[in-house]
Amino acid sequence: MAEENNWHEAEIRRDDIKKLLENTKKLAGMYSEIMEVKRESWENVLRAKIKKAEKEKQNG
Amino acid sequence: MAEFTALLTAKAEWKPHQIAKAGDIATLANAASALADTVKSTLSLASAGMEVVKLLAMLQNINPLLIALEALADEVLKQIQDLKEAGYWYLYVDPYYEGNVSPTQKYNYGFEQLRNQAGDLIWSYKDGSGNWSDKTDGVWNSTPTLAKINSDDAKPHLASPRKLIPGGYDSSNPLVDPLRSSDDGGVSKFPTFTTKEVIKEFTKAFDDEGDVPRYKLVGEPSAAPKAGELVYDVDGNAYTGWDPKIDFGLELFDMGKASEDGSTVKNYVAARKALNNKVTPGKPNILGNTEYAGGSGAIAIIIASGNFNEFIDVFNKFSQMFSDIPEFSSSTGKNLLDALTEIITPNDVTVKLTQVDTKYQSFIVGDVIGGQKYLSLGKIKEIVEGSVVPTPMVGRKAVAKTDDVGMITTVMTDFNMNEIERWIDMEVVISPIRNLDGLNPWISGDMVVEMEERGTSGSTGDDVFPNYVMKGGDTTELPKELRIYPKVAIVAMEKLMVLPESTPPDFGGIQIKDIVPGWGEFFQLLENFVLQLKGMISDSASFVQDMIDMIKQVEAFLEYMIKLIDEFLKFFQITLPSQGVYALYIPNQPDGNEGIKQQLSTATGIPDLGYAAGILFVGTEGDKLIAGGGSKNPIDLLALVLGLLS
Repeated sequence: MAEENNWHEAEIRRDDIKKLLENTKKLAGMYSEIMEVKRESWENVLRAKIKKAEKEKQNG
Repeated sequence: MAEFTALLTAKAEWKPHQIAKAGDIATLANAASALADTVKSTLSLASAGMEVVKLLAMLQNINPLLIALEALADEVLKQIQDLKEAGYWYLYVDPYYEGNVSPTQKYNYGFEQLRNQAGDLIWSYKDGSGNWSDKTDGVWNSTPTLAKINSDDAKPHLASPRKLIPGGYDSSNPLVDPLRSSDDGGVSKFPTFTTKEVIKEFTKAFDDEGDVPRYKLVGEPSAAPKAGELVYDVDGNAYTGWDPKIDFGLELFDMGKASEDGSTVKNYVAARKALNNKVTPGKPNILGNTEYAGGSGAIAIIIASGNFNEFIDVFNKFSQMFSDIPEFSSSTGKNLLDALTEIITPNDVTVKLTQVDTKYQSFIVGDVIGGQKYLSLGKIKEIVEGSVVPTPMVGRKAVAKTDDVGMITTVMTDFNMNEIERWIDMEVVISPIRNLDGLNPWISGDMVVEMEERGTSGSTGDDVFPNYVMKGGDTTELPKELRIYPKVAIVAMEKLMVLPESTPPDFGGIQIKDIVPGWGEFFQLLENFVLQLKGMISDSASFVQDMIDMIKQVEAFLEYMIKLIDEFLKFFQITLPSQGVYALYIPNQPDGNEGIKQQLSTATGIPDLGYAAGILFVGTEGDKLIAGGGSKNPIDLLALVLGLLS
């Protein structure tokens, strides 16, 4: 424990906010990854749909 | 002077504080919380949406990530909740920015005593014949003994004509030079408030008997329980003595533990209504009792320096770091740095001078000038181009005219008294210099004269300032040919100046309020998007395209958010330099406010520095374990996050 009950020069930090910000950043980063996977999935779906539609068109 | 007067009524008051619930940090915490909530709700949607489009295989691949994400979202929410629940009282002692205590004036007004070139006070001594001279025993300016002054054998050589100045001759304490180092109690250019005075304010605030929490009835008395009925505190304990017409010192409710009957009232916390709300927080208390003997702890932080420049540098960083304290919030208008910078470098003023007597030379850039009566002081920075013109001085004189018949008549005519253009007008831009009693205005009609340096005030380094006196002030009693005459003019008026742009905060260059706006709205948008999707999952091409576009927006926003957090983290990665920051941690102890007061007054290890401000956090013991389960007092959590525990 630091020098209790007496004044001392201290390097004050704000670990509370730091930790909150770091966690939020991590959260945003991970969420971003999920979003990317989802987007790629939907893009696949869209490509498949377009392909299917073109095929149907060709087949008349 | 005005700045001192304004502070005389000020008083430091206890206020409640909850991290993550106040100021800019609260906005940040809310944004983080919104993201965590959104993440959680979209995770369930992910399964539903993916199922529709038969992408189960891909979803399974990211399953561990989803689990980790949900756990992280929970952690963020829990952390925010912990921070919001940890409540403190804080007492902010600030002589400078908000100004809630009065800095002590370290000077008296007295007649100006002459000083020699080195700045030493000049004393006159009576010789055997009763004549006075500034010399004794062949030594100039030696300080006399008090006995010599009391017996009228020595006296201060006062400026002639007499001039009342701050830090002038003090007959009750004649031998001590007011301009001695401010470390030794000498005068200072800046209002001083010492570390000891801050600690005194800390302890004094526990003694204010009237500073108790007060709660006022919510709504009409007729809607509240009748006088004499049982009421309950926040923990559900019953109290008698209720009267809706009286203010009480604790938060009260209409239901408590005793109200739960298992059928109508299953949970008194959910069913109860608040009877009153807080009007004043009062000093630290447990359930309204300020004389409690229960557990309490404190963290006192004092920013202090013997040098005002250093002090404001650290104080500014400190205020940026604690922008969740409302007094430091950047939204309260002029920021702290601007306010303090104004004390050090006040805005320039333009003064119109008239009757500048060129016989004693005209003013030039670099001259220090001072008002004789109102003690204004400043350095000429610029002479406004085109403003130097002869002073119009029109006189009236009687002219005798003799007519053709020899009759003499007298008529009055105007004439130019300044024909040889001895007197001129000019406009000068002046950088004001703080006097010992603050910044004094340039008043029309006051005579301004050239000043010269005689001695200094302050302590060391940047805190030392020249002491200015009228040039030649020590020669006014000499024969005319030996006198030195200063440049002289009269103040015509001070011109209104357009204020320069304010200085933006330089620490980290970023503030929470700058990065958070828009977050709330975005998360709201995201949430609505999620809700809409729940009802309309489809595999139509247009829906899929909308989905992709929206996800792209979310991705772009998250990228932007990460970038901003990085910027902001840079700010919080920096710890306050230990130099100039003093902390005292009083861990949870059983003697209530009295125990904290006692420890505050007896703690040692802090030097008594001239410029200081401080903040005292007090936490009282609660029911639940916090700070990682090691304590029931939120102060221990605060000590942990502030880095005061090793």
